[in-house]
Amino acid sequence: MGIRRNSIAIALALTCASLVSFQAKAEDVKLTLWSLDRDIQPAPNLIKEFNAQKNGIQIEYRQIQFDDVVSEAMRAYSTGKAPDIIAIDNPNHAMFASRKAFLDLTAMIKTSTVIKPENYFPGPLKSATWGEKYYGVPKATNTIALYYNKDLFKAAGLDPNKPPQTWDELVETARKLNDPSKNVYGIAFCAKANEEGTFQFLPWAQMGGSTYKTINGEGAVRALSVWKQLMDDKLTSPDTLTRSQWDSTATFNAGNAAMVISGPWEIDRMLTDAKFEWGTALLPVPQEGAQRSSAMGDYNWAIFSNSKHPEEAFKALEFFASKDATMYKDFGQLPARADLPVPPTGNAVKDAALATFLEQMKYAQPRGPSPEWPKISKAIQDAIQAALTGQMEPKAALDQAAAKIKSIEG
Amino acid sequence: MRRIFASVRDGRGFDIVLVGVPFAFLFALAGLPLIYNILMSFQEVDMFSLGSFIRPFVGIDNYVALFKQPETWPILTNTLIFVVGSIGGQFLIGFGLALFFWTNFPGASWLRGLFLVSWVMPGLVVGAIWNWILSGDFGVLNFFLRESGLITANIFWRSDPSFSLWAVVIANVWLGTSFNMILLSVGLSDIPGDLYEAADMDGANAWQRFWTITLPMMRSTIGAIIALGLIFTLQQFDLFAAITDGGPNNSSNVAQYWAWDLSFRQYDFGRGATISVIMTVFVMFAAAVYVRSTRHEVRG
Repeated sequence: MGIRRNSIAIALALTCASLVSFQAKAEDVKLTLWSLDRDIQPAPNLIKEFNAQKNGIQIEYRQIQFDDVVSEAMRAYSTGKAPDIIAIDNPNHAMFASRKAFLDLTAMIKTSTVIKPENYFPGPLKSATWGEKYYGVPKATNTIALYYNKDLFKAAGLDPNKPPQTWDELVETARKLNDPSKNVYGIAFCAKANEEGTFQFLPWAQMGGSTYKTINGEGAVRALSVWKQLMDDKLTSPDTLTRSQWDSTATFNAGNAAMVISGPWEIDRMLTDAKFEWGTALLPVPQEGAQRSSAMGDYNWAIFSNSKHPEEAFKALEFFASKDATMYKDFGQLPARADLPVPPTGNAVKDAALATFLEQMKYAQPRGPSPEWPKISKAIQDAIQAALTGQMEPKAALDQAAAKIKSIEG
Repeated sequence: MRRIFASVRDGRGFDIVLVGVPFAFLFALAGLPLIYNILMSFQEVDMFSLGSFIRPFVGIDNYVALFKQPETWPILTNTLIFVVGSIGGQFLIGFGLALFFWTNFPGASWLRGLFLVSWVMPGLVVGAIWNWILSGDFGVLNFFLRESGLITANIFWRSDPSFSLWAVVIANVWLGTSFNMILLSVGLSDIPGDLYEAADMDGANAWQRFWTITLPMMRSTIGAIIALGLIFTLQQFDLFAAITDGGPNNSSNVAQYWAWDLSFRQYDFGRGATISVIMTVFVMFAAAVYVRSTRHEVRG
């Protein structure tokens, strides 16, 4: 009796198990995707559209917080629980790519009809590259340029259609616009002791002909000296040292700074907050004819190398890339695509600003790429802050940073 | 077998079980992480080896490298200033307020309750608000100082290296004062009133009563408050994140913020753990002092 009952139970269990496995076969391929996008940003919405196609691939979304992206992803990867796809901040891309935690997509991109390297801006694409191979696809991009208050330009007797072109002109213009009696600083930017500080300084060093590897080069020293001059002459608020880019731009919007260096993410807020006429210009260069450069921000898509469904994950990336054309219209983010014009928004001020940023984007360079980027960035931030607080000379501070970076890179 | 059973039900075994459960709990949730942390401080740990136990053992390399960094001593000094300044401010103002409310004027208990609001607020919110108050150009604090004629030029609380640490201390004192006040109020109400009556009869003045009755009777409360204050200040992280980010140029950086920065911004977990170990040693030393100072307690 006992045996018989057992055998029935076993038979039942087997039937159930086979049923389950049969169902699993018929089921869609399940992918997981992590990003920090909120409900009004691209990732969750694109996934919704993708899933609605019912093409046998379903993506499950998980939102992670900015501070947790890298550590969560790394922990998940080292314990074998990584998602299939992740949106990673571009300076962190190399850390994963260099350890082969991300999948090499070069071969897949070669045969893809949607994702073509030549369609992307060189800066963003480089950030997803490691050792001449593609380990990701740029998701969106941004850069920084100069915003200026045309009303204050006119009031100071300056031509509002001639924003400063060189560093010297920038300092002189700031000096003319600076008016402590009216609580107006000449310029606002960000030299904060975090990634934002590096993000804002590195373009200056690069325009001066330096890179992060030669951060104590002549051009970088001159760049830091210009920053120091702006600080020492009180042409910018001392709080530049501890204020974020967002907060610095708020002072520009309030009319307390005549110029500000920031990115396209400010445009919408500026349109509502700034009660004056404003314009945008490319970042001033060391001298006329010098090479341009700018910062490059935003995220890249990447597929983890231990994903069980790399083909399907790449299909998802292709779908996302196919939606780049409407990215600005739908989500207000710039696609990293040189081949796609951003369609006019109908607002002349906004369109002019976008045109500036798209032009600036051509010169944008990634931070690194280096797997040790966070430490390199820290060395640069320390140098900026040491020089701007007057505790070290720009040259000495950057020499120290260069020595640190050399020992970090080995 | 039965003897063991009986002992567990009522006897030594029962005592051991009672002690054992919390001990196991403590060991699992505090002891193991602590040991793990110490282990990590002797290893080279980065993002990719975070999930495994076996990692390159580097001996005391992390410690040596840490003390070679030029910012290490200034940051440890900052930590000391921050702890002493915060505890000092919180305690003195808290004690003053506790004594004030102890006089029991009408509405005293209501007001005392209201003070707790600052303690209930999340650190990040407090930090964001102080961030505005301390802002150099448009901060409220500068406005008041200027209007009252105390300063002529704005002080850049957050961005001037000689003020930045104090900016966080001020915010932290504000945050912790009410907690100190409540605990001290409880201690004050525990002092038997007849002691004061007797002192009154002997003709002791207020000052003498304070030094010879209040303070000695409050000894254990004060010890506990300072020990707790030490823990809370060494935990204080939100205010740094919200107000100065440790800047400018590390002038307001402290050990706990630095440990986080090393571990979670630079992904150098080994070195982050090393700082935590140094902090642990420091706290253990303070705890030993606290235990010693309250050992010979006089109970009223």
